[in-house]
Amino acid sequence: MSQKILAKDKVDAFLQGLCRDQDLFAPVMKDGKVGWGPVATAAEALWEFSNTEMSPKDFFFPQTECMMRFKNVQGDPQGMIMQAEAPLSRPRVLLNIRPCDAKAFQVLDLIFVQDEMTNDLYWRDKREKTALIGLACNDPCPTCFCTTVGSNPHGETGLDVLLVDLGDHFLAKALTEKGEALVKDLPAAAAGDEGQAAELKKAAEAKIKGGVAMDKVNAREVMELYDAPLWDRVMESCLNCGTCTFCCPTCHCFDIQDETQGEAGRRVRNWDYCMSWLFTMHGTGHNPRGTKKDRVRQRFMHKFKYIPVKRGGEIGCVGCGRCVQLCPVNIDVRKVVNDMNA
Amino acid sequence: MEAIAQKIREAAKRLLSEGKVDVVIGYAKGSVPMREYPYFAYTPEEAENLTWTSFCCNNLALYTIRRPGRMAVVAQGCVSRNLVNLINENQFKREDLYVIGVNSPGMVDRRKVQALFPGKTITEVIEEPEHLLVKGQGFEQRIERKKFLRSNCLTCVQRNPVISDEMIGEKGPEGHGGNIDNVAAPWEKLIPAERWAELQETLKDCIRCYACRDACPLCYCHVCFVDEAQPQWCGKTQDEADVATFHILRAFHCAGRCTDCGACESACPQGIKMRRLTSKIEKDIRELYGYRPGMEIGATPPMSLFRPNDPQDFIK
Amino acid sequence: MFARRRFAVLKNLLEYVGIEPGRLHFSWISSAEAEKFQKTVAAVTEAVKALGPAQHMIKDIRKVA
Repeated sequence: MSQKILAKDKVDAFLQGLCRDQDLFAPVMKDGKVGWGPVATAAEALWEFSNTEMSPKDFFFPQTECMMRFKNVQGDPQGMIMQAEAPLSRPRVLLNIRPCDAKAFQVLDLIFVQDEMTNDLYWRDKREKTALIGLACNDPCPTCFCTTVGSNPHGETGLDVLLVDLGDHFLAKALTEKGEALVKDLPAAAAGDEGQAAELKKAAEAKIKGGVAMDKVNAREVMELYDAPLWDRVMESCLNCGTCTFCCPTCHCFDIQDETQGEAGRRVRNWDYCMSWLFTMHGTGHNPRGTKKDRVRQRFMHKFKYIPVKRGGEIGCVGCGRCVQLCPVNIDVRKVVNDMNA
Repeated sequence: MEAIAQKIREAAKRLLSEGKVDVVIGYAKGSVPMREYPYFAYTPEEAENLTWTSFCCNNLALYTIRRPGRMAVVAQGCVSRNLVNLINENQFKREDLYVIGVNSPGMVDRRKVQALFPGKTITEVIEEPEHLLVKGQGFEQRIERKKFLRSNCLTCVQRNPVISDEMIGEKGPEGHGGNIDNVAAPWEKLIPAERWAELQETLKDCIRCYACRDACPLCYCHVCFVDEAQPQWCGKTQDEADVATFHILRAFHCAGRCTDCGACESACPQGIKMRRLTSKIEKDIRELYGYRPGMEIGATPPMSLFRPNDPQDFIK
Repeated sequence: MFARRRFAVLKNLLEYVGIEPGRLHFSWISSAEAEKFQKTVAAVTEAVKALGPAQHMIKDIRKVA
C-alpha cells in the first residue's frame, strides 16, 4: 500500500474531491462539545482534539433505526404489506476518526457479521459504503489506555487511510483498496516521513500511563471471575444508568419493537443497555439479571471475558476512555479490570 | 476544604470504630479531575479515603434507599433535605440514620471549568481557599471558585444541613446571593411556539441513558414509568415526542419533592439543562402551596395534601 | 381534592413547555349532572377544534425516520 503526502494547504482541495461523490463527516466543535458533523472544508473539521465525547458508532448503528415498515389494511386483498427500508444512498467518508474507534468497528464486525445466518444487513450496508480516514493520536489523554487492550494511538486496524500529523504536512498511509483510491492523486511521501511518523508513534505510546492488565483475567475460568467478591464493591455506587454503554464504541445491545398507528407500522430498533433492569426482563416475570450487581458485572464480564472467549481473544474494549470521563459516579473501567486481574 | 475533609475522616473513623454505624457514605477522590464519587467506608481504614472538595456533586441520599443497617451520610444542605424527604416518605427511620452535617461551599460545575479550555484536557485541579488551580497539558490557570459554581448552587437557600447528628466545621451563610426567582422557569416569558422550540433545543442531545433519573434521590420506584412494558407509556425511540415525554413526566413526578440539588444536571453525560423544567415546578409548588421540600421532618408532601381553598381557577 | 393540586401543577407544566392553553381542560362533574357533562364536552370539543390538529407530542410513525 502506498504512502502519500497531504500538504496542509492542500487539505481543502482533498476534501472537495472527497465530497464530490460522498458525504463527508468529521469531528467538529458544536456548542463547546466535540462531536461529529458534516464538513466540506478543512476549517470546519477539527485537527487538534482528544476525541469526540460520544463514539461515532451511530453512523453504522443509529440509536433509533427503522428496520422495515408495514401496512395492514382491513379487507385489502394484498394482505399485510411489508416494505424494506432503503439502503444508504450515498457513500460516506468519516474523516479524522481516531484509531481506537476504527478498531471498535472491526470488533463489532465480528459480532454483527459472523456468518451467513448472523449477518446484520443494516450494519453491513453502512459499513461497506463508508470509508474511514483516521487521524493518529500524537497526544493521548490521561484516560486513554488503548495500548493495553490491543489498540494503538497510531493503530491502523479498521482504517482505510491513516493520517499522521507531521507538523507541516500529513503522512497519508493507504491501508486498503478503498483507501488507496481515496489518496491516489496525492504526491508520494518523502524519504524521512515514515521514520518521523514512527518516532511520533513511539512518543504517543509512551504518553499512555497506566491501563489494564489482562493476563490473569485471560487465565481464569469464567465462573471464578463471575463469583469474585469484587463485584459487591464495584456495584455500590453504580447508578445503573446507560452512560457508559451509550458512549462506548463497542457496546452494541439493542431492543426491537413494532410500533403501530392505525393501519401503518414500523419495526424499529433502539440502543439498549445491560445496566437496564428491563433489558433482561422476561415475559414470565423472571429476570435473570435481577440485581444491580448482576447488571454491573455483565458489562465488564462481557467486554473482558465473554467476547475474548467467543471471538478468538479479541477484547470488547478499545481503551478510548470515554466511560472513564463520563461515568457520573467515576466507575473507572481500568480499576475494575485491574481488580479482576488482581 | 481539606480541613473539613480531615474532620469528616475523623468523624467517620470514630463512628465505625465505635460500631455506631455499619457504613459511612461520603465522597472519595475520583480517578479523573473534578469527578469525586460516592464512597462507602465500612472500616476505619477505608474512612481514610473520604474527601470533601468542590466537586462533591452526587446526591448521597440516593444510596440510603432500601439499604439495610445503620448508616451515616455526609450531608450538605441539599442532601439533608433529600434525607428529610425520604424520612417523610417513610423510606427509613430517622434513628437508622446518622447525619454528618457539613456546610456546602457550593459545588463547582466541571462543564463551566472545562468551557474555559475548549478541546483541551484538564489533568489536575488543586483546591485553594477561594480559587481553583487548573492544570492541563501545556496550560495552568488560577480561577475564582465562586464564578464557576453550579447554577443550582448559586441560587441555593439552604447550604447548611437541616438535620444533623454532628456538624463538621462551622455553619455558614444559607445562600450564595443568587435569587432563584430570577432564573427559575426561564420559558415563562415566551409564547407557546417558542417554548416548545426551547424544549426541543434543550433536549436535542439527550441519549436517554436516564442518568438524570438514576442519580436522583426522588426516583426510587421499583419500576419507572419508562420501563413499563405493558402498557408502554413512553416509546423508546429518539423521536422528539418520546424524549419529551420522558423528560416532562420525570419532572412532573418530582413535583413537590425536588430540592434543586442539581444531581441530574451533574450526572448528565450530555450537559442537558433539565432544571429548566424542574425549576418551573419547584416555583409553582412554592407559589401555589407555600412549600419547600425537605425542610422539616413530619411535613406532608404537597402532592399528598389538599386545602379547601387551593387554587382552582383552571377548573370549569 | 388531591387531584386538584396535581392537575394544577401538570397544567402549568404542559403550558410551560408550549402545549397551547385550551388543549387541556378540567371540570368537576358529578354523576348526577348530565346537563353539565353535555355542555362541558361540547365546549371542550369546540375549543380544541378551534385550535386545530395538535402539533406537539405527536409521533407520526409514517413520517419519522
